[in-house]
Amino acid sequence: MVEAGRSPNIEIVSNADLLSLDGKPGNFTATVRVRPRYIDAEACTACGLCTKYCPRHMVDGYNEGLGITRPIHIDYPQAVPATYYIDPSACLFLQHGTCQICVPVCRSRAIDFSQQPTERKLAVGAVIMAPGFGRVPEAALTRYGYGQHPDVVTSIEFERLLNPSGPFKGEVRCISDQRHPHRIAFIQCVGSRDLGCDNGYCSSVCCMYALKEAMVAKEHDPECEITIYYMDMRTQGKDFDAARKRAEEHSGIRFVRAKVAAVTSWDQGLKLTYATMDGSHGFTGYDMVVLSVGLDAPTDAGKLAAIGGFALNRYDFCRTSTFAPLESSSPGVYVAGAFQGPKDIPESVTQAAAAAGIATGRLKTQRGTGVILKSYPTEKTADAEAPRIGVWICHCGINISGVVDVHKVTDYAGQMENVVYFNDSMYSCSQDAQETIKEKIKEHKLNRVVIAACSPRTHEPLFQETLKDAGLNRSLFEMVNIRDHCSWVHANEPEAATQKSMDLVRMGVAKARLIQPLPEQTVPVNKSALIIGGGVAGMTAALTLADQGFPCTIVERQDLLGGMLRQAHYNLPGDDVPGFLKNLVDKVKKNKLIDVLTNAALLATEGFVGNFASVVQETKGKKMVEHTIDHGVILVATGGRPHRPAKVLGVELPKSDRIVTQQELEAQLAGKAKNRAPGSVVMIQCAGSRGDDLAYCSKICCNEAVKNALKIKEINPASQVIVLYREMRTYGYAEDAYRQAREKGVLFVPYTMDNKPVLAAKGKGVKVSYHDPILREAVELAPELLVLSVGLVPESTDELSKLLKIPVNADKFFLEAHAKLRPVELPVAGIFLAGLAHAPKPLEEIIVQAQAAAAKAAMPLVRGKVEVEPIVSHVDQDTCIGCGICASLCPFQAIQMLKVDNKRKAETIAASCKACGICAAHCPTFAISMGGFTNEQINAQIQAFGAIDKE
Amino acid sequence: MAKAQDKKTGAVMVVGGGVAGVQTALDLTELGFYVYLVEKSAAIGGAMAQLDKTFPTNDCAL
Amino acid sequence: MSKEAFSPKILGFLCNWCCYAAADSAGVSRYQYPPNLRTIRIMCTGRLDPAFILRGFAEGAAGIFTGG
Repeated sequence: MVEAGRSPNIEIVSNADLLSLDGKPGNFTATVRVRPRYIDAEACTACGLCTKYCPRHMVDGYNEGLGITRPIHIDYPQAVPATYYIDPSACLFLQHGTCQICVPVCRSRAIDFSQQPTERKLAVGAVIMAPGFGRVPEAALTRYGYGQHPDVVTSIEFERLLNPSGPFKGEVRCISDQRHPHRIAFIQCVGSRDLGCDNGYCSSVCCMYALKEAMVAKEHDPECEITIYYMDMRTQGKDFDAARKRAEEHSGIRFVRAKVAAVTSWDQGLKLTYATMDGSHGFTGYDMVVLSVGLDAPTDAGKLAAIGGFALNRYDFCRTSTFAPLESSSPGVYVAGAFQGPKDIPESVTQAAAAAGIATGRLKTQRGTGVILKSYPTEKTADAEAPRIGVWICHCGINISGVVDVHKVTDYAGQMENVVYFNDSMYSCSQDAQETIKEKIKEHKLNRVVIAACSPRTHEPLFQETLKDAGLNRSLFEMVNIRDHCSWVHANEPEAATQKSMDLVRMGVAKARLIQPLPEQTVPVNKSALIIGGGVAGMTAALTLADQGFPCTIVERQDLLGGMLRQAHYNLPGDDVPGFLKNLVDKVKKNKLIDVLTNAALLATEGFVGNFASVVQETKGKKMVEHTIDHGVILVATGGRPHRPAKVLGVELPKSDRIVTQQELEAQLAGKAKNRAPGSVVMIQCAGSRGDDLAYCSKICCNEAVKNALKIKEINPASQVIVLYREMRTYGYAEDAYRQAREKGVLFVPYTMDNKPVLAAKGKGVKVSYHDPILREAVELAPELLVLSVGLVPESTDELSKLLKIPVNADKFFLEAHAKLRPVELPVAGIFLAGLAHAPKPLEEIIVQAQAAAAKAAMPLVRGKVEVEPIVSHVDQDTCIGCGICASLCPFQAIQMLKVDNKRKAETIAASCKACGICAAHCPTFAISMGGFTNEQINAQIQAFGAIDKE
Repeated sequence: MAKAQDKKTGAVMVVGGGVAGVQTALDLTELGFYVYLVEKSAAIGGAMAQLDKTFPTNDCAL
Repeated sequence: MSKEAFSPKILGFLCNWCCYAAADSAGVSRYQYPPNLRTIRIMCTGRLDPAFILRGFAEGAAGIFTGG
């Protein structure tokens, strides 16, 4: 968020409504109405005085109504933009013409009641709709006593209760009497999978957040008993099942598969009545009940659809298709996030990149015409000169000077060696202060700047920008934190806080004396990509990159493009999958920017982001041809294949041609044979998955089973289809198909691992015996066909993992850089990931992920160069003894060993270095220095620390 | 900071400032486009800003 | 303030990404803690050479805090 607030190329138009959208793709005009904040955003310093003085209370919407705030406020301290605003519905002046206490209180005179709504016309080439999700209907909540009993809360309210910034500062307390709850129940599927409120779909996120909230609540209070009432735990995402297991085995959370009928008041607490799978009823007392609410369509979905001219689906989410998941029905209008369908953070982040990629691919002639590029004066060389340090001590309004004696600290700084200019500053981050800093740098020929104010984490870039504007290298700057780390945390000890500030400034100046300018490093980029894998992920990525104007080479191991999708005949929504694949292959073959090598394998890759060189071996008949390809980025899309388990549910599979996989059944059903849909079929879910051969859930098998069951019923309505399952994970809109299958008479019978079905040979066929929980007895069947829903395994990730030095997880899938925030990037810079090699997932998600990975891969190619933070490590090759400790310890493969004059030497690959400093700390000959954090600088700080007593 | 003129080519509008909208905006700038991020409420962040633990540093890295 | 009161000097090495950020958050939330700590920001505790800790003690630190 902060990054978005700081980018010169993102203008945040907040407090604003979209009124209309005219024009055509590439040339839209959007009309936006900006509502007044009644506070001048440029002048507001977010000091918070106004909120302290505002006399009116109002319900705090950010805390889900569980706390109170004032009409003039900011939702939370880290909000972007960090500007307060006045809620006109509660402000005494705006409602009744009285009060105005805040106006004189504000020291920066930022409050302006004369502000009026303004209308703006924005010329844009494309629109991306990301309005998020709305809330489920009230009726879905009141059914469980919400609104009647204060201790029935929604999961979002519970989230706020757990949060340290929440209503009870992170303590979970009952709303009714503020006692700590000892027994908490979660009810799943509130407002989801519920035709009663017309939300037939599964919201896909509630199982995960309920697990998270339950585990966090357990951390807060290990004595607390927590029970989750559920229909199916849908933890189908990557590594989600493992988390569910942890919740059960380590956190001791109880899971009860039951439908909750009612929540009623009972004695001091609540009584929960429920019905279990076998039809028996039970009731249990709780202190608090949490409703795991689903995601509904945003409230203004209809309005946005009318403005944007696109269609909604039956649940009022944006309507899209399997093959173009992020394109609305209106050309030039795209969609990302929960508005496309309920989804979690990683998928939203993936969709964001993908939407950005496809929207800009079609506007590429406009690229760069709207962006602001800053230019700076040439830097003066400072290294030869003696340090001339300028020190500013910030008051931060009264945030610092209210506690710390700023003048005393300023005078103290003035006496230090090499300090030639010193002053205090009311707000050192303000625009006019930047101008003053620039003037003084010139006037006093300053070549180092120290600012004692707030945190470098938020403000260092701002001041470094000022230094650059003044012609100084941005590294010649040191920031001392006397607000967050001093005045704010020692508010009652002004003397000690002043002393601490003086010490910190002394340490900062000591470091500043030794700071050296660090060169801004950039590395040019080879503007092309290598894509490993020619399945749907690889081909989609190639087309997305080609749309951006970048050439790429697809390396496919087999003789044909298409990968696993070649075995697909139809899908759940009824799209023409073979037609889509054929079309995709044609487009790839026709595209002049895409080179395809089939029967080819990657042999070796060296280099780093922007400058890779790879050797690819192509087999042509009996001939082997080696190609050397230079490229800037790598996209890994090696795919997966169905797993053939040897054992299912703990027993050896009997040999019988009546046992097939879902994929084989699909091929049979898509054929022409008359008796292709047999009269009796038993499907076994999780065959070989979630415990047998594979530990994980393959995400797609439940949908595949429902798809084939529906197909059988379509061809042969009299067929008896029984699906034995552990949990049906038909998340999202697939829930509709699951319901449809049940309506059509497909029997879904759950099994548990302590009472699992038994398979055995019976003549040429096979027999299945299982426990039916509704009949409460064992059933034995000899179906015409036994269908195994087998999981997916990745294709040979081991080899590539070694070749590219990229990690895999315990299940052999490649491990992304950050599960939530960088889902399509690998930890090695310049390598990206999409498709089944990442984790099992359905076609639609693969397409989005491929578009996202291509968009991310295009970024360094668009920039044309890789910028390197100057704080990276540097090896002094004269001192280096070539021991290689650094190269083996580096977590980012950023150090390579070279032969220099026939001696082994280490060298940093600046583009890959993340500045952690592990290499420098371990170098036995001190040959490695960290830019901005050298041994000398840190030692000077330690020495200056020691000077506390020596004065 | 200089603001771009409202009439310009090479710009894209993102409606909604939650995790999807903010990430889209950042990705668009990386692909060489100017972005108007239009948000209904007073601050960006959406539902994600209400969450605990998902982003334990409060920095949310976005 | 009494000069007799126990008031040790503590030197802290804070990782930019976690502990330094946490100290910032403590400030934002106005958590009050004793003013004995003087900190040095590093980009990662991996940067910590054991020599820094020894030097800290040599310079008179009563304790060294590392957070990462």
